[in-house]
Order: sequence, then C-alpha cells, then structure tokens
Amino acid sequence: MTGTHRVTTAIALAGCGVVLVAMAGCGRPTPQPGDPLFDAIRAEERGAGNLTYAESQGRTLFGHYCATCHGDEGHGDGQNASNLEPPPPDLTVPKNVSDPALVRRVIAEGSAAVGRSALSPPWGRSLSRLEIDYLVAYCQALGRKPAK
Amino acid sequence: MEVRQTVSLRFHVLFACLALAFLLILSWVLLREGTAEWRTTQARFTKLEATVKNPHQLAQAAQAGGLHQIWLEDLGRVDRCTTCHLGIDDPSFVAAPLPFTTHPGTWLTTHPPDRFGCTACHDGQGQATTYLDAGHHPQSSESRAMRPLETIEANCGTCHRALDPPDAPRLAEGRRLILQSGCIACHEIPGFEGVTFSGPALANIGYKVRPEWLHAWLKDPKSYLAQSKMGNFRLSDAEIASLQAFLLSQREEAPSDSAGVNWSKASTDNGRALFGELRCVSCHAVNGRGGTMGPELTRIGDKVRRAGLFSFLKNPHRTQPATPMLQYRLTDDQVRDLTAYLLDAYRATDTPEPAPAAYQDARAVAAGRAVFEKRGCASCHRLPGVTASGRIGPSLAGIADRDPEQLAYGSSVVRRTAENFIFLKVLRPDALLQPSMMPTFSFTPAEAAKIGLALAGIRKADLPASYVQKRDPPPVFRPAGPFGDLVDRYRCLSCHSVGGYGGDLSTVPLDRIGSQLKHDYIASYLLNPGAVRVSLEARMPVFHMASEEAKIIADYFSTVFLDDGLERYDARFTPAESDRGKELYRQLGCASCHQLGTTGGYVGPELSHTGERLKPGWIAAFLTAPARYKPGTLQPDYGLSGADARALTAYLSGLGAGPAATKGGVR
Repeated sequence: MTGTHRVTTAIALAGCGVVLVAMAGCGRPTPQPGDPLFDAIRAEERGAGNLTYAESQGRTLFGHYCATCHGDEGHGDGQNASNLEPPPPDLTVPKNVSDPALVRRVIAEGSAAVGRSALSPPWGRSLSRLEIDYLVAYCQALGRKPAK
Repeated sequence: MEVRQTVSLRFHVLFACLALAFLLILSWVLLREGTAEWRTTQARFTKLEATVKNPHQLAQAAQAGGLHQIWLEDLGRVDRCTTCHLGIDDPSFVAAPLPFTTHPGTWLTTHPPDRFGCTACHDGQGQATTYLDAGHHPQSSESRAMRPLETIEANCGTCHRALDPPDAPRLAEGRRLILQSGCIACHEIPGFEGVTFSGPALANIGYKVRPEWLHAWLKDPKSYLAQSKMGNFRLSDAEIASLQAFLLSQREEAPSDSAGVNWSKASTDNGRALFGELRCVSCHAVNGRGGTMGPELTRIGDKVRRAGLFSFLKNPHRTQPATPMLQYRLTDDQVRDLTAYLLDAYRATDTPEPAPAAYQDARAVAAGRAVFEKRGCASCHRLPGVTASGRIGPSLAGIADRDPEQLAYGSSVVRRTAENFIFLKVLRPDALLQPSMMPTFSFTPAEAAKIGLALAGIRKADLPASYVQKRDPPPVFRPAGPFGDLVDRYRCLSCHSVGGYGGDLSTVPLDRIGSQLKHDYIASYLLNPGAVRVSLEARMPVFHMASEEAKIIADYFSTVFLDDGLERYDARFTPAESDRGKELYRQLGCASCHQLGTTGGYVGPELSHTGERLKPGWIAAFLTAPARYKPGTLQPDYGLSGADARALTAYLSGLGAGPAATKGGVR
C-alpha cells in the first residue's frame, strides 16, 4: 500500500464524482413506477378543467359563495340569477374577468364599489385575503376556458 | 551510497507526485465549492435583487451570501431551502422566477418559517443544497422527496387533527369519507378518538327484511344501494346462505302493533301526501334526489316487510334506539297509508312478500353465526348474544411511517411508498396478493386518493404538543325532563347542534335560539314549520307535534338557550331610524338575496315576517358580524356602523310585526 495508490484512488473517485454530477445535471430522472394516488388526484383535476391548486381551491369557494347567482360554471345562470336586474355577467367570457385587480375589487368591495349595481355584495370582511386570492385565480381560469 | 541516492530520488519523485496530487485535489475542491449550485443561484439572486429593489431597500436588505438554514430543534429538522429560495418571505419578489419568488398566499403568515421551516409541509431533504438532492423531483429521491401540491394536504393532517382542517378541502373530504364509511368501526385511527360508528341493530332483522333482498345485499350491497355504507365482504355462496339463515333467525320481538290494521282501507294517495308533508326527502333520497342522512328509499319496497315497516314508522326507536330518525306523532291510519305508499311506489319487482319462513336448520344458523363473528359484523351491528367484536382491523397509528418495502403492492407497478399502498388497499383490498378481511367499498380512485391523503399524514413520530392543532369533541348534550324526552323523540340533535354537539344538517344551531327567535314564533313554527329559506332542500319535518309539546320546547328555548348580550338590546326605535334602514336595504342590495313580499332573491331567508320572527338584538348582532355567529354564512359582512345596523334592525323589526303575528310563516 503506497501513497501513489491512495492518490490514484482519490483521483479516480474525484473523476467519478465529476462524471456523476455531470450526469445528474443533464438528464431528466429516468421513468419510474407510477404514483397511483397522485395520478388519481391529477385525473380529478383534469376532469375539473385542469386547474392549479389555487384555482381548484377557488372553485370550491365559488361553489359555496358565488354559484347561487353566478352559476355552478360561472355562466351567470345560478338559481337566483333570474331575480337580479342587471343579471350576473357570464364569467367565462374572457373580457369579464381579464383584469385580476378589478375582479379582486368587485369580490372584496362589492360591485357598487366599481360603479355598478349593488347586487354583488362585498366579501372582503368575510373572506380572508388567501380565499380572495383563490377566487380571483379561479375567475381567471373561467375566462381562460375555451368557449363552449 | 548509490543505494541511498536511489532511495532518496525515489522519495523525491514520490513526494513531488503526492504534492501535485494534493494540489490537484485541493484546486478541484476549491473550484467545486466556489461554483456550487447554491453559490451560482445566490449570484443570480443578487443580480435580480438589484432590478427588483431600489438602492435604499438594497442597502437595508441583508446580504444573501452564505448557507442559510432554519434549525427546528423541536421537530428535529434542519432546512437549508432558504439558501436558494431567498425571496420566499419578501413580497418584493412576488413576480420573480423560481426559486426566488415569494411564497404564494398567506401561508407564511400562519406558518412562520422560523417555527415550521419548509420540509414540515413540503417534505424533501431539507439539508441538501442542490436542486436534485433536495428532492424537488417527486421521483428523484429514494426517500422523502418533496410532495407535489396535489398531495400536500396529507402533511396538513399531521398537525391539524380536528376533523375539518382549514384550507385543506381534500384532507377534509378524506376524513369525511373515513367517518361516513365507518373505517373507525374496525380500525383505530388517530384523530378520530371518541368517534363511534354503528350500523342498524339486527335484533329484529328476521321480521324486517325479505330473504331475497338479504341474499342480494350480502352478496353485494351496492347492487341494491349505490350509496351503501356497507362494503362488499366478498362472501362465498355458502357463507351468504348460512349468514342469511342466521340473520333471518333474529326475531327478538314480533312487530305486533300492526295486528289490528285494516290494510284494505289503505290509501296510497294519502300516503303520498304524507310523504311530502313529513319532508321525508330532507333525509332520504328517492330516485337520486334528497338527503343522505337516511338510506335512499327508491327500492324500499323490495327490501322490507310490510309489518316491519309499519312498526318502524310508528316507533323507529323501539328496534333502532340509535337511529337519527324521529318519531312522528301519527295515527295508525296515517302510518298505514304511508307504509302502503312506500311499498307500492318504491319497488322494482312485483314479487309478493313471502311468508316468514322458520329457520330451524341449526347447522346453517351456527355456521352463519361463525361467519358473523369472523368477519367482524358485530363491529358495526348490535346483535343480542354476540359480543361486540370491537376493532378487528389493525390500528392505523403511524401507518405513514411503515417501511414501504414491507408493504404489499399486488401486481401494480408503483413506487413503493406507504401512501401508494394505502391507496391501493382502500381501492381494492383483495388485489394486494395477500388475503384480506377488509370489505371492498367501491370507492372511486379520487375518493380512495383523498382517504389516502387523510391517512398519509398519520405518523408515528411524536410531534411536540405545541404543534398539534386539535379540537376536543364537544360535550354531550342530553337534557332531562319533559324537554329531554321531546328532544329524544323528535331527534332534534340529528340536525341541530348545542355547544357543537349534534348534527349539522340544519343551518341553525340551538345555542342562542331563544335570543334569536320570539317565543310565540318558535311555538307556532314547531307546529307548522314553514319555509323561511325558500331554496333550501333539507327542511324541518312537520312533526305533527301536540301544541303542549311545542310550548314545552318554546319555553325551554326562551329560558335556557339565551345570549345575554343579545337580550340587552334597546329596541325602542325612532321612525327616522326605520326610514334610514329602508334606504340602506335598497342601497346595500339586500333584495338580491332576500325576498320581501313578492320581489327579491331566494338565497337568504324571506323577510316579510321578520318582525314576528326575530328578536331585534339578534338582527343587529348578526348584521354586524355574520361570520361570528354562522361561519361560512352567505350573509356578507358589510362592515356596518352601529347606527346603520340599528337602522336596518329598526326597519326589519317593523316587517310583519302586528296583528298578523299568529301566522306560521310562508310556505
């Protein structure tokens, strides 16, 4: 056992290290066996319109707080819509939800705050900032969907 | 001498080589350290910071240089994620690219990094300082890779032990499914302590059901009822036959009360009217529509025997003491008509009811009892003479920390993780290449995944108590005396809650009901519950209650379920206040949700009779802080000033208060 031997080993190890780092850097991880639990949740999300996490949280909130007037899918056809004049807008029309700041303001301060009717109430004191973030995200997603 | 020189030369050469090698290694190490991934990342951040912040902010900002780490002694974690995620708690970086962007939402406000770190929620390898080693790719790391957002709620469950965790809908749904499917009857599941589950008592099942129904049910409950809570036990035909014989021999008490009933006079029309009036669909679905507290009735005529159904409708509590179903105050003729209607209208087959056969085959009965005991039927169903088997399944404590290599995955090619095992097991208990006693519940993959999420947060590692968020089960409310008897008879607590104890089908907890509703209104409403909330599907049943019963309940509500703060309200309003309230009602757009007369929406309650219905103190308090009294209410918080709330209260209290105060509400 000489020093030369150890040096060779060390250099070899270092070389291997460099090669490994290089390999890890360029390649994607090789395909692995599946994650059925993850896949099941992804499949459900795709079924619901391929929403991000925030958007799907927004969808749940939308169903609870908004859908009675705005409709389950945001078309402005909720069961209470016929009682409203002016009727709720169709949120799947991109221009109705294209400005996130405006959407946030209408949700938080009510439609009267942007000079429209008082029919859509302010939710800023009932919902947390996070919840309103989610709702804004979901409204954006509604406008993104291809028109049916 | 020459030898010495040779040796010396050899040493010199060796020394030179060694020195060179060390130099090479040293420079390689220095180079590697100098160009480490986290250093180049930090260099990128410094450049970005200069574009995001003004010079003043830059001067204030701490130097990014060096490894950052959060040491959580309590949790035994060291997280170095902030070495690269440098803008994570700085809102200036909200539009910055990964890894510098700000953490979305308000999560870091509720979960400060110095208390929770990163890996407590996200998993991954906290000590690593390269992208791959940290486990960013779900499959790049052998153990504890980072969780994708899709399944992150599993980690919420590790600390949040209350059954309905905030902001984690998938976890909440998983826990609801666990509760509803009765998993806790067979398994000990941390987080569900003190919760019990039971199926119907079976002492009289021999008088209750038809044999052919029982056979089909035991073979596959879903064939009769798609929403059946009972799973499929995958019994053999021989097991089904013996279990059927054993169960049909269970006849503790004959349903003698229908003996004198004249069935030839039964009126199904009258029964249909009663079915609507009693609001059976608040709890029972028919043809897919209606409540879910009781079983769907669409094929009830194929299931039950006439005498058994009559007896149950007359007094559900005699054979099923724990049922959530109330005992209506009906005459025998009414019960007869209702029975006849149900059996006539809700059946798929026309086979007449067979006469009760005598099951005397002692061997079959004994074999059936053995199956009943072996498969743990008594974990859910009470049966005299069979001791409750308790939880026959394994405890699920620490299930998420089980060694993935020791678990069975059947023929599925999956990554070996505890949660994939849980998912497969919940979905198809019999497909994991090991015999399983667990019934198949026919969950959809999405349902199984949510149950998996709920279980995947159950770790055996001890969490410091200061991290555990749980809610103790509410104290049992069981009043004594005549009021207690009525609460028991009409099963108020199946839908309403007191101090959090009871059901949540009703939107109205009873805790302060006496300060919300006027005494006379309570009494008249109980006798004839109208639809205050027009669009509500689940409505309060029409009990056919005696008027003295209604008075006992109204008296109790108005003396016990009080909120002193609401009672002290000064209800002497001026006409000016009332006028101002009327104007506010218009301005705020109240009519978009509330009906008044014939105009307005039907999201909230109808308001035409508010004055005879609600106490002013309650109106004012609720309008001022709706979510405080009803979390998740659709009544928005308008941030009303005290004067505005009072004005609206003055206006609303004047609606319908007057000589017409005896009407029972609007249908």
